[in-house]
Amino acid sequence: MASLRDIRKRIRSVKNTRQITKAMKMVSAAKLRKAQDGILAARPYATMLDQIIADLAARAGDESLSHPLLMARPVKRVELVLLTSDRGLAGGFNSNVIRRANRFLYENTNLESIRLSTVGRKGNDFFRNRGQNIRKDFGGLYQRLNYRAAADVAEELVASYLNGEVDAVHIVYNEFVSAISQTVKVAQLLPLQTLGTPDQAPTAGSTSLVDFKYEPDRQSVLDRLVPQAVNIKLYRALLESVASEHGARMSAMENATSNATDMIGSLTLTYNRTRQAVITKELMEIVSGAEALK
Amino acid sequence: MAKLTVEIVTPEKRILSVQADEAIVPGGRGLFGVRPGHTPFLSLMEPGALTLIESGRRESYFVAGGFVEVGNDKVLVLADAAEPVTGIDVEGARRRMAEAQERMKGMSSEDARFELEQATVRREAARIGAASSARA
Repeated sequence: MASLRDIRKRIRSVKNTRQITKAMKMVSAAKLRKAQDGILAARPYATMLDQIIADLAARAGDESLSHPLLMARPVKRVELVLLTSDRGLAGGFNSNVIRRANRFLYENTNLESIRLSTVGRKGNDFFRNRGQNIRKDFGGLYQRLNYRAAADVAEELVASYLNGEVDAVHIVYNEFVSAISQTVKVAQLLPLQTLGTPDQAPTAGSTSLVDFKYEPDRQSVLDRLVPQAVNIKLYRALLESVASEHGARMSAMENATSNATDMIGSLTLTYNRTRQAVITKELMEIVSGAEALK
Repeated sequence: MAKLTVEIVTPEKRILSVQADEAIVPGGRGLFGVRPGHTPFLSLMEPGALTLIESGRRESYFVAGGFVEVGNDKVLVLADAAEPVTGIDVEGARRRMAEAQERMKGMSSEDARFELEQATVRREAARIGAASSARA
């Protein structure tokens, strides 16, 4: 049986661990709140942009709208972008993305090639350690996550789509459902699929569809709108991923803290039992010693 | 008289949502003014100063390019970035512009980043312009 001193040491060490997990949980909770605010703040722009594109599509009616980023071509080469975090200790956050990416690779072996690129250190480490070729690691994105940084990444991806290096770009990321729930999602970034829903009635300027004017002209406006929509899509995925990361870490640390508390409880019980046993033993020794002197 | 509802949003946040009598917007083909009853249209927006006039008071914002949709007395400004002109950091803008110009020196106009740097120079120049017009 472990000595009293050993148990005391264990208890102290578990208490220290609990302190750390508790602090990490609190830090994650604060960061989660910030990340959620970020998602909310990004919503108006995204909704309006979607609306404008949907209106534009609706007004165009039968005239076809064409833009290179909307045109699907036979898919032979695909790029898969993994959104993971830079840090671990976030439960299944990173491993879920990695597992999903592996499944994607496994399911699409009929393609000519699948390139990988990563945002976040964890995904990059995993595939690099397994000798997988990673085309590009968009590192350090989380230190300065703003729209501009996301747009830079999106523009790079758009460029390789336009010059024919890849025929489609997919992203794997954690979709933020709630603070305690995240689901892994594979979304197609390019070619862009959502050109609004035509059945939706246009809002602003809906009264006169015919008179609606574009400055300088419709195609130029569309040429700027579509890449913007791609940027926004990636930016939002990044925001969701960051919020999910903090949510996942928060619940992981919450669990760790309560596990530590359980462990301290059972260790304390063992400690007290052992202490009692030692006292009983000493008493017995004294009594039997006294008995022997009679 | 009817009023315009003006909203300025950026990808990162909603900057403002107010009522105004008139909005002067840096469009793709120069400044244009919008008053209530304006015909609906959708325009590209260049970096520059966007001015709102509300009961004779003028208020200016710097916008870094984007889109403007006008219709039903609503002006929706979707800007890549926006800030009130009074809050512009002129020194910072000058520095960013000089840095971009520095980087452009070694590039040919075919370089992939050339256009990006050029856009930065234009944007920062517009930002400085917007700030000085506010002070004048």
